[in-house]
Amino acid sequence: MTVEADVLGARQVRGRPIAAKAVGGLRVRRIALGILRPIATFLPVFLIGTFITFLLGALTGLSPAYVQLGEAATPSAVARLNHQWGLDKPFLVRYWEWFSALLHGSLGNSWFDGVPVSELIGQRILISLSVAALALVLGVVFGTLFGTISALKSTSVIDRTITGFLSLISVMPPFTVGILLVAVFAVGLNVLPSAGYIPLSQGFGPWFSHIILPAIALSFEPVAALARQLRAGLVSAYNENYVLGSIVHGLSPRRIFFVHVLRNGAGPALALLGLILPNLLGGAVVTETVFGLAGYGVFASSSALHGDVPAVQGVLVVSIVVVVGFNLVVNVVLNRLVPAAQRGI
Amino acid sequence: MTDVSTPDAGTPAVSVKGLSIYNHIGEVPAVTDVSFTVHPGEALGIVGESGSGKTITCRALLGILPDLFEVTAGSIELLGRDTEPLTQREWTALRGSVISAVFQDPASFLDPSIPVGHQVAEVLRVKKGLGRRLARERALDLLDAMRIRDPEYVYLQYPFELSGGMLQRILIAAAVASEPRILIADEATTALDVTVQAEILDLLTDLKDRLGLALIVVSHDLAVVSQLCSNVLVLRAGEVVEQGTKGQILFAPQHDYTRMLVDEHHRFGLERFQRRAVVRG
Amino acid sequence: MLHRLIRLPSAWIAFGLLLFIIVLGIVGPAIAPYDPLDGGAKLLASPSLAHPLGTDYLGRDTMSRLLAGAPVSVLSALEVSGIALLVGAIPGLLSVYLGRAFEWLTLRIVDTLIALPFLVFAIAMTALLGNGISQAMLSVGILLAPMFYRVSRAAALAVSSSQYVEAAILGGSSTVWVLRRHIWPKVIAPIGIALANATGAGLVIVASLTFLGIGVQPPAPTWGGMLASDLGYLDYQPYAPVFPILVIMITVWALNLLADVLRDASGESGRIMLKKRALVKSKKRRATTVRRALQGGQPT
Repeated sequence: MTVEADVLGARQVRGRPIAAKAVGGLRVRRIALGILRPIATFLPVFLIGTFITFLLGALTGLSPAYVQLGEAATPSAVARLNHQWGLDKPFLVRYWEWFSALLHGSLGNSWFDGVPVSELIGQRILISLSVAALALVLGVVFGTLFGTISALKSTSVIDRTITGFLSLISVMPPFTVGILLVAVFAVGLNVLPSAGYIPLSQGFGPWFSHIILPAIALSFEPVAALARQLRAGLVSAYNENYVLGSIVHGLSPRRIFFVHVLRNGAGPALALLGLILPNLLGGAVVTETVFGLAGYGVFASSSALHGDVPAVQGVLVVSIVVVVGFNLVVNVVLNRLVPAAQRGI
Repeated sequence: MTDVSTPDAGTPAVSVKGLSIYNHIGEVPAVTDVSFTVHPGEALGIVGESGSGKTITCRALLGILPDLFEVTAGSIELLGRDTEPLTQREWTALRGSVISAVFQDPASFLDPSIPVGHQVAEVLRVKKGLGRRLARERALDLLDAMRIRDPEYVYLQYPFELSGGMLQRILIAAAVASEPRILIADEATTALDVTVQAEILDLLTDLKDRLGLALIVVSHDLAVVSQLCSNVLVLRAGEVVEQGTKGQILFAPQHDYTRMLVDEHHRFGLERFQRRAVVRG
Repeated sequence: MLHRLIRLPSAWIAFGLLLFIIVLGIVGPAIAPYDPLDGGAKLLASPSLAHPLGTDYLGRDTMSRLLAGAPVSVLSALEVSGIALLVGAIPGLLSVYLGRAFEWLTLRIVDTLIALPFLVFAIAMTALLGNGISQAMLSVGILLAPMFYRVSRAAALAVSSSQYVEAAILGGSSTVWVLRRHIWPKVIAPIGIALANATGAGLVIVASLTFLGIGVQPPAPTWGGMLASDLGYLDYQPYAPVFPILVIMITVWALNLLADVLRDASGESGRIMLKKRALVKSKKRRATTVRRALQGGQPT
């Protein structure tokens, strides 16, 4: 190109050391902000969430006495146990003690049997997270598949079929799907177990066969939500002028899709992932009931019914931490893919 | 009035004969019986109001007519090659390397999530087969040639961080990166400030002269067209009202419509160009 | 917007279904053929003429139980979305006008609410406030409030910065007129859509809670509770859960359809979509005429 010969020399002569430093600074600033902004957004969530959790517990007026003694709890027994557990201290003192213990990883002891709550949850969280993680993977894989296909073939018969299928799936709550799956696969066909959990250490096959049905049940809503959001995002990205620009530059349709459309169109769907996780954790409660899994969901349920406040608080805190952590990661990835200012944050 | 480089008489870069395009959405003809040629190193201006069919004509040249717009008659030849039988793949190969374009509203024509420099380099990597590093070097050279200061810094900026003038330069860089023979500028300066407009027009003239581009400048603004172009085509409602050299159109308009356009632009200072032309002419 | 709604066939389906379900919700218990608590008939029977939807493990007629359970489910779902609307929409609107601090605080609280899993929180609330359906409804309503917060905030933002409102007021129109003519249409549609979605979500959550035994105690019939008992007897009657599931699914589907229909009928995309449909229809007609003409001679 004729331009190069006569201009290249000139640029080297004009070389600006200032620009180099500025460029480096720009990069560092971008990466730092990409990580710091999500932290700044989610730290308040963690703080407020844990505060609400503690507040709720304190407001109930429940006491370990009711948990341990039940009907036999006399007012003096209540007072005695409250003092024993430190529940007659002022609110802020209790909050501070609870919160600092939290930061050290301690969730208090169950009123039911005195066992540390973190121990009780720890065993069970693995089960719930296995199911939730598999459900998430299924959701992402099939959501992406359906979303992409229906976007690329938008308004065709395929698109309409997929959209119809998705609206069907999206109205099937996890526990209904779970029950149907048990009826079909466990009872009817007797192919998969209907209840129980086998840890991974005892083999991949058995572990998988126990969590696949609950994971499928949980994955219906994520698949529908992700597929819809991805389709909308991709279709709207295709209508943007930069697609036209890329076409005019002579880039192939394949490249335009994978490099430009997908990146911009998937943003909202990716953000949706962060919202899906709380729903998965919440849905764990019912799926664990349907499938007889000793997860943290049933633990939450039974603790709540017994009035075991620290246990319930522990469950809520764990949920918050998992959700916030996951959202942090999702947002950092989002910032890398799509500049934050574009998303109006 | 004449340009610096002599256009070579020989195959025209663009040859349009009797082009007619029908609009199925509005159920009206969009373009009727339009013909023109552009030689390398030559600049043709297409003037008309909105809806006159200028953009549709350009899109036909690029092979990107919208759905439900159909070429019903005529032919388009780019570098002597008829575009009618071209497949999608052949069009993709043609675009960028033979014909390219820049449009109005430069910000929307760049991917908002990728630094602008990378997008120019992408054209080089895809169309010219350059490796990463070489493409980056060449892209920086291009930015520099577009008279952008601090090309290394601008290279890493996102579109939303840059002004309209900068973005248009970058789009021009991306358009000429793959060394096309034909460049279409469709209202390329309309959304820019007057001073920036002048710079971009200068840049385009410069590129045309140095690279021997066949330039097609589309605008509703007669002043823009008269600054750049040696030949002018006036469109109204999809039909050619008048066409000829700049001198003919500006000083001896035959048709009432052309006369009206010229008269209107008098009020905005077209005399400058007319006077200069008289002196040279 | 109403005239556009009328033209969409899916709107008719959605409205029809919902009307039917609401009517069922109101008169359900009255028209049940059998007493829902009366377990006299054959246990776990398959559908038959006497019991069109079969019986449950105590011999109670399934259809009667479904009808009796309708009010609880339907009304609770509406209650939930009503609470969510109040708790969410008001702060949402205010967040635009009450200054940065309020805005930041409410935004963070909304983020927190979104982060809390529905069921776990609802269960926690029932533990803390007592095992009743209203407490559960309150907590679910609060958890669904963010949806309305976002919608009303977006509407308020759009309106407060729009120029036509400014122009109208400057032009001398009264505030009330501006509210009615410009703001109301822009706000009502997204809120309507959110209401439909929230009611659907609320229904599912009610069913889940009653499934877990929270809220209404057996033997009072609820859709979720019926599923819980059906689960226990799946080995004997695998078809039993189908009916409650169908009922839940159809109701939620109708609500989602309503939301979609509202979204399609309002706003630009609706107008464009209707135009496109008309265009595609006419293009199809034209394409077939062209094809026939090319094939030569076949009468159109």
